[in-house]
Amino acid sequence: MDQETLMTMAGYGKFFILLFIFIIFYGYAFSLYKRQRSGERDFEKYSDLVLNDSLDAAPLEKRDNSKEK
Amino acid sequence: MQSNAQLEYDYSVVKLFTFTTILFGIIGMLVGVILAFQLAFPELSNLAGEYGTFSRLRPIHTNGVAFGFTLSGIFATWYYVGQRVLKMSLKESKFLMTVAKLHFWLYFITIPLAVVTLIMGITTSKEYAELEWPLDLLIVVWWVLWGVSMFGMIGMRRERTIYVSVWYYMSSFLAVAMLFLFNNMEVPTMFWANGAPSSAMHSISMYAGTNDALVQWWYGHNAVAFVFTTPIIAMIYYFLPKESGQNVFSYKLSVLAFWGLMFVYLWAGGHHLIYSTVPDWMQTMGSAMSVVLILPSWGSAINMLLTMKGEWGQLQTSPLIKFMIMASTFYMLSTIEGPIQAIKSVNAIAHFTDWIPGHVHDGTLGWVGFMVMAALFHMAPRIFKRELYSKSLMETQFWLQTVGIVLYFTSMWIAGITQGMMWRAYDEYGSLLYSFIDTVTVLHPYYTLRAVGGLFYLIGFLLFAYNIFKTMTSGRVLDKEPANASPMAS
Amino acid sequence: MFHWLEQRPFFFAVMLFLTVAFAGFIEIVPDFAKASQPTVGTKPFTVLELAGKQVYIKDSCNACHSQLIRPFKSETDRYGMYSLSGEYAYDRPFVWGSKRTGPDLHRVGNYRTTDWHENHMMNPSAVVPGSIMPKYPHMFTNNADVATAYANANTQKSLFGVPYDKEGMPALGSWEDAKAQALEDAKKVAADMKNQSVKDAVANGQVPEIVALIAYLNSLK
Repeated sequence: MDQETLMTMAGYGKFFILLFIFIIFYGYAFSLYKRQRSGERDFEKYSDLVLNDSLDAAPLEKRDNSKEK
Repeated sequence: MQSNAQLEYDYSVVKLFTFTTILFGIIGMLVGVILAFQLAFPELSNLAGEYGTFSRLRPIHTNGVAFGFTLSGIFATWYYVGQRVLKMSLKESKFLMTVAKLHFWLYFITIPLAVVTLIMGITTSKEYAELEWPLDLLIVVWWVLWGVSMFGMIGMRRERTIYVSVWYYMSSFLAVAMLFLFNNMEVPTMFWANGAPSSAMHSISMYAGTNDALVQWWYGHNAVAFVFTTPIIAMIYYFLPKESGQNVFSYKLSVLAFWGLMFVYLWAGGHHLIYSTVPDWMQTMGSAMSVVLILPSWGSAINMLLTMKGEWGQLQTSPLIKFMIMASTFYMLSTIEGPIQAIKSVNAIAHFTDWIPGHVHDGTLGWVGFMVMAALFHMAPRIFKRELYSKSLMETQFWLQTVGIVLYFTSMWIAGITQGMMWRAYDEYGSLLYSFIDTVTVLHPYYTLRAVGGLFYLIGFLLFAYNIFKTMTSGRVLDKEPANASPMAS
Repeated sequence: MFHWLEQRPFFFAVMLFLTVAFAGFIEIVPDFAKASQPTVGTKPFTVLELAGKQVYIKDSCNACHSQLIRPFKSETDRYGMYSLSGEYAYDRPFVWGSKRTGPDLHRVGNYRTTDWHENHMMNPSAVVPGSIMPKYPHMFTNNADVATAYANANTQKSLFGVPYDKEGMPALGSWEDAKAQALEDAKKVAADMKNQSVKDAVANGQVPEIVALIAYLNSLK
């Protein structure tokens, strides 16, 4: 196999990798907005992490210690 | 929760890094202004013999502002924002406290060592990676310490979800670690001296020629990304909503922009090597990806501007908000300017000219400088528990520096395009119209204007330093921590 | 995925790293071997030239001068043949520069002489009126670090297989051989110079920085 064919294959390879990533990324974006709209999950509330950040404020979501190492 | 009623956030490390931000900022910017005047008035290059030439001082300026001023600001805000959004205090862990202190002190001794070695001419010549191998090892140590403190603090958090700012800090840590290691693969030559009395500080790059250039600009471009961009975005995602009391316009957009930026940024390094000897496809890829990069960059910037939706009145009342909005505006400007310069045909004219430093400085002076100063202004009343000393001084500083930046980049645009066009001008007989020196002397007025712009910015920074100093020493003492807008005396 | 990932800092960091590292992997790896092949006729630097390159780096000449001629007519007319990848095969580190405050130097050896450099480094604006380049008189008094240059060359030879001591390539040998050779080369450069103290220094077995630097600049062709 010469350099030319290798480069062509690499080119196609890269194109499909990019296509794949493109699909994943937009699928992710779509799912974020869908879940927000259907009320499955509210993502916007996380910006309260900033507004409510004093040490004695109640955590937005308490950490479930059993799951974490 | 009841147990931490007496517990407070610990700001001792934040304070230390705040001081170094200001100290290294003054030094780095002062050297920058000296350099700018040296280009306009070359006699100034010979005032201190070997140690005062433009060429010796330039790495001190670039390293000083990038790794002195900006990194200090990043570390200061990390120890502040990190504790707060994770809802943990450094006081809770002796170990993390020690790591944080050690991180500071090792960092602090590195910078003077860097200045001394660079002024002596001990350099590897690779841009933004000039420091020689013993210093590089020292940097690795404190970079790892930063990582330990970061993941340690995350591990101790009370808040289950990690806020997007922390993501950006993490990305800086990881990406810079990777880039720095690969670009600084250097071999100390003393081990192969074969009996010759060679210098212990000297090293050569593991890669040669084109490969070295490739690795260098993969690093060089992305050091910009992960020192001047992502940590600064981390800052604005915390400080703007906090100072204005507004929710982030769209948290989902911030998440998407994050992954977009992470994926795309690294590809764009190739745009530094357009029309060089690196393979063609890589240049094209670098060029194309630079254009794609507009999307995630503007995603963040627009998200920040829209966060102020309905609250634009604050822009009139608070100079602090002004600094931050101006910062994101400059971010938009430089992230559209960069891709334009990365287009092959534009790059053919722009590359090697003053348009490039012009572009860098819209980003660093406008975006990085303003945001770091705004963050320090926001933190000052909280870490020193005093009211900001003077609002009118902040206003003066804001306008002085804004005018300084505008002078800077407009003069460099004109200088860059003028020079780029003159280099390629032909007369009717097909010979080059200008000798090289013609294209240098023509720049004198622009170099002067740029130096004046830089001087304005430096004066503004000195006002900032004075304002923080007075806040610390004689601001009105606050009885409780302000929730949102930072209190400032007129 | 969002929910799961962002509560697990470790996996989050791994995912982040992969996302960031992906580009570097694809961009840099494939062409590494190819780009490092020297073009025919490219030779490694002699010890004296390397000492000169170290002076070039010490004084950050690369902050204002590029060594990369782009393939445009306006550049090839001004500086000569455009640069080829293989010409840099022994350039460690590369010194392409990123800004032309002064002109390109990749082929400066073709059109400037020892004599020109000597006058120019002492006082650039006397040779090129209007020049904004600093003066470098200290290069006439400081001595170049030939020992480190030898260590540099020997590292390249032993570690990276740079063909010193091969047929038609510069000789390296032991430190004593290399030192003698560097001095001999320095004498050839000094013979074309006018500055008496530099000539005396070379006659006394020293190598002032300017001599090494000129040897390096003359080798750039």
